[in-house]
Amino acid sequence: MVMIVSWNWLKDFVPLTMSPEEIVSRLTMSGLNHESTEHVGDDLAIDLEVTSNRSDCLGHIGVAREISVLCGQPLTISEPELTAGGPPVATLTSVTVEVPQLCPRYTARVLRGVRIGPSPKWLADRLTTLGIGVINNVVDVTNYVMMECGQPLHAFDLGRLTEGRIVVREARAQETLAAIDHRTYPLQPGMCVIADAIRPVAIAGVMGGAETEVTERTQDLLIEAADFSPLSVRATARGLRLHSPSSYRFERRVDQHGIDWASRRACQMILQLAGGTLAAGVVDVTATPPQPHPPVTLRLSQIKRILGIEIPTDTIRKILTALGNQEQHSSASELVTVPPTWRRDLSREVDLIEEVARVHGYDKIPEDVGVPMASSHTTDQERVLDMARDTLVASGFFEALTPSLVELELAEDFSPSSAAPCLKVGLAMLRGADHLRKSLVPSLLRVAQLNESLGNRHLDFFETARVYLPRPGDLPNERYMVGLVSRRPFGYLKGLIETLVERLRHGQSVEVRLWQHPYLAQGTGVELWLNGEPFGYLGVLSAQAQKKADIRQEMVVAELNFESLVHAAVLVPQFSPVSMYPSVQYDLNLIVDEKVRWGNLADTVRSVTGDMLEQLEYCETYRDYQKDGHGRKRLLFSLRLRSLTRTLTGDEADQIRRSVLAACEQHHGAQLLA
Amino acid sequence: MGLAGFLQELDEFARDAIAQFASAHDAETLEAARVEYLGARQGRIKSAQKQMGSVAAADRPAAGKHFNEVKQSVESSFREAQQRVNQAADPPPRDPTLDVTLPGIRPLLGRRHPLTQTMEELKNIMGRLGFSVADGPEIEDERHNFEALNIPPDHPARDPLENFYLATAGVGVAEPVHLLRSQTSTVQIRVMEAAPPPIRVISMGRVYRPDTADATHYPMFHQIEGLLIDQHATMADLKSVLRLFARSYLGSDVHVRFRPSFFPFTEPSVEVDYQWKSGWIEFGGAGMVDPYVLRAVGYDPDRVTGFAFGLGVERLCMRRHGVTDIREFYKNDWRFLRQF
Repeated sequence: MVMIVSWNWLKDFVPLTMSPEEIVSRLTMSGLNHESTEHVGDDLAIDLEVTSNRSDCLGHIGVAREISVLCGQPLTISEPELTAGGPPVATLTSVTVEVPQLCPRYTARVLRGVRIGPSPKWLADRLTTLGIGVINNVVDVTNYVMMECGQPLHAFDLGRLTEGRIVVREARAQETLAAIDHRTYPLQPGMCVIADAIRPVAIAGVMGGAETEVTERTQDLLIEAADFSPLSVRATARGLRLHSPSSYRFERRVDQHGIDWASRRACQMILQLAGGTLAAGVVDVTATPPQPHPPVTLRLSQIKRILGIEIPTDTIRKILTALGNQEQHSSASELVTVPPTWRRDLSREVDLIEEVARVHGYDKIPEDVGVPMASSHTTDQERVLDMARDTLVASGFFEALTPSLVELELAEDFSPSSAAPCLKVGLAMLRGADHLRKSLVPSLLRVAQLNESLGNRHLDFFETARVYLPRPGDLPNERYMVGLVSRRPFGYLKGLIETLVERLRHGQSVEVRLWQHPYLAQGTGVELWLNGEPFGYLGVLSAQAQKKADIRQEMVVAELNFESLVHAAVLVPQFSPVSMYPSVQYDLNLIVDEKVRWGNLADTVRSVTGDMLEQLEYCETYRDYQKDGHGRKRLLFSLRLRSLTRTLTGDEADQIRRSVLAACEQHHGAQLLA
Repeated sequence: MGLAGFLQELDEFARDAIAQFASAHDAETLEAARVEYLGARQGRIKSAQKQMGSVAAADRPAAGKHFNEVKQSVESSFREAQQRVNQAADPPPRDPTLDVTLPGIRPLLGRRHPLTQTMEELKNIMGRLGFSVADGPEIEDERHNFEALNIPPDHPARDPLENFYLATAGVGVAEPVHLLRSQTSTVQIRVMEAAPPPIRVISMGRVYRPDTADATHYPMFHQIEGLLIDQHATMADLKSVLRLFARSYLGSDVHVRFRPSFFPFTEPSVEVDYQWKSGWIEFGGAGMVDPYVLRAVGYDPDRVTGFAFGLGVERLCMRRHGVTDIREFYKNDWRFLRQF
């Protein structure tokens, strides 16, 4: 929240002995961040940012108090002197508060026979400096006093209040209010309104109504100074999308003890500027009288313990006292003070430590103390993630980051990780995106689609992120996944996954099992298995899914469970000896039926070669229907045999070769190409 | 043979050899000349050496001296010629069609996302300062996202319009309230609940707030937070750690400035600025862990103190790399990603 203060106005309360630049710099360094300064006439409008705990600085007096503390100058606030010439106020109006929980305190004063007219120039100038519109002498006074002390006020035209009385109550169904901004607001039960005998005349703490506003014809006034529940004001302002300087201040709480001061100050100014007669006394409906702050004990040793620096006790006492804390008693080890009523944020020892620190100056805290060393640990997850990113990036894949929330259609289209309906949030993150995704693949396809539509030829992307799998009655299972999309062939993506696994654990292979999913083209979908556990899937996007994703090129997609990779990874590989003996290599060309799978044939080869097999390498598949007949293919592969302990003899090697051929023939009907 | 004759022959030999070497323009001719004059077996120098035997014994020292001089001079003339020939000799191009100005065949290399790179850099620096990475869920309960962080139920930060609360089925049973975390401080609570002090961790990752996406806001962004809890951690330690961090990150001896601020979970709370060139740039928020938070996780604020700091990764990354629109990070245009 920004608070604009007038340089001239501040001078009413504190001598400004420093330049504006010096003062705003000090304010910035003590908690009121300076945003900008503008010249308005012969005044300066200084724009300050006020944090939500410092509602006391939403008025000039609060800012002046900060300056007085920072610059060591006296703060002067005078008590408004009132002369009541009229009858007791209770004979002229009454206040009923039906909802004390929404309105803990309501005070009303009455002035009769006022002359409404323009404000004097000095007053109009100050409001203009703050960017507040000038209306008439009475309305301007209520705004002026609010900007002076932070307490919002409202002036009603008493003559227009039915039966001349005030009822603070909840709005009734179907009630509306035409507000002073000339718009009509539909009110709802739960909202707090100020009503007269029959109808709402103001939205409590938010805005007054047009029918009872003060105009040139107004003669008698009712001045409201009240406290409304912060939550209620916030909900109402939000519900009506009507935020005002008044609602802002009530949301951040007003000083319960400042309400009467503000009321008297406004009446004093109105009497001076608009004349009239003040009714005697005040109608004050208070649910629970404001309690004084309990005292707060500051153990002096805590200053050093928290801030790391010593601050002399005299300095501590001076700062706290200047800020309005009343010293109750003190000893060599502690200081007991009662915080001021306008500082609701001060209730604990640590709050006082912060006050001392910010006024004393954070620049006094050194930035070069020796912090003890400590070891840090890199988790397996971090290390595997780093290796995975390295491998994918080195293979030409670009890392994408996509939103966790997606549209329902995208979320449910493809979610192999869980059949449970995906989780929904109350608000959409981006257009329609209000479901937590269960797969990264649809989001990555969207990235591919965007890039294709932009004419980028590169469509290989990966993302490492969580998917959210519902668990009834519990926080969802957040599973970390690696998603991949690519326009390269199926075999390439499969090889990349194999390489990734091999990178994490030398010699580790990946198994596949055919897996059908409407998202994937028939016969291309596979479940990926690692050490007897499924850990992901891979496949060519089906034509239908591709069309839905609006991508022209055929895409291959995959998704891996990251924890499975971590589980499989060997982060401290152990050396295994390499053979110093020569190898024997055979290139084989077998004719088999089309239905024979390489994976099965390879298993057969491995089962008969034993530990002499150093490498079994697939070379290619070749089809020559004229020579071999239809439905036949040739599998070309090479076999490298080597012993760790000796040189293989030609006979031994040939024996292994023959048993490979025999086993392949027996199990797969394979014929060696002559 | 008389001495004079011998010397004369030697001089002729030298003159011929030097002339031959000098006129040789390629390695082949030079090699032939070398074999003829300096050849170890049949070179003319050999026969000259043999003739020395026929010089009278008394003249032999003079003959030998002159022989050596001539030999040296011829050999050095050969070396010169050899150098010259070697330099001049351009072997024919291996492949006359090779155009070395053609673009190279580049290995296809992807890139880590710039936000990942930024987080890794921050993580590495903090790792050197003894902070380990701690992880926690993105979907949280109210205790970890609010209550334990000193954000009471009536706090504006808990407003349904300020958070992504999970929709509940709304049938009878009171379901626990869950939401997408609005800050990574949730992880601090989980770390402290799980382990006694001392604590030195950083947490980072996605956080969610319902902002309308524009050039500087996105409803999902990344935070990185540090937490240190120990028996004697002070604000001076906080400032010093942040300065070490800044010096590592910015690579120069920068200074750190604290401005008062307000966060529910720290007290005192400050905004942290780094001195950069002639001014100050905002880094993030920090403060001493609020005693309320310490008590909420079962720590005794009279026995331990601690500090926390946090910053938005996107903002830092944008400033570091001159990115002007936060939405670029989530659009994933290849032309954007490949620049980092």
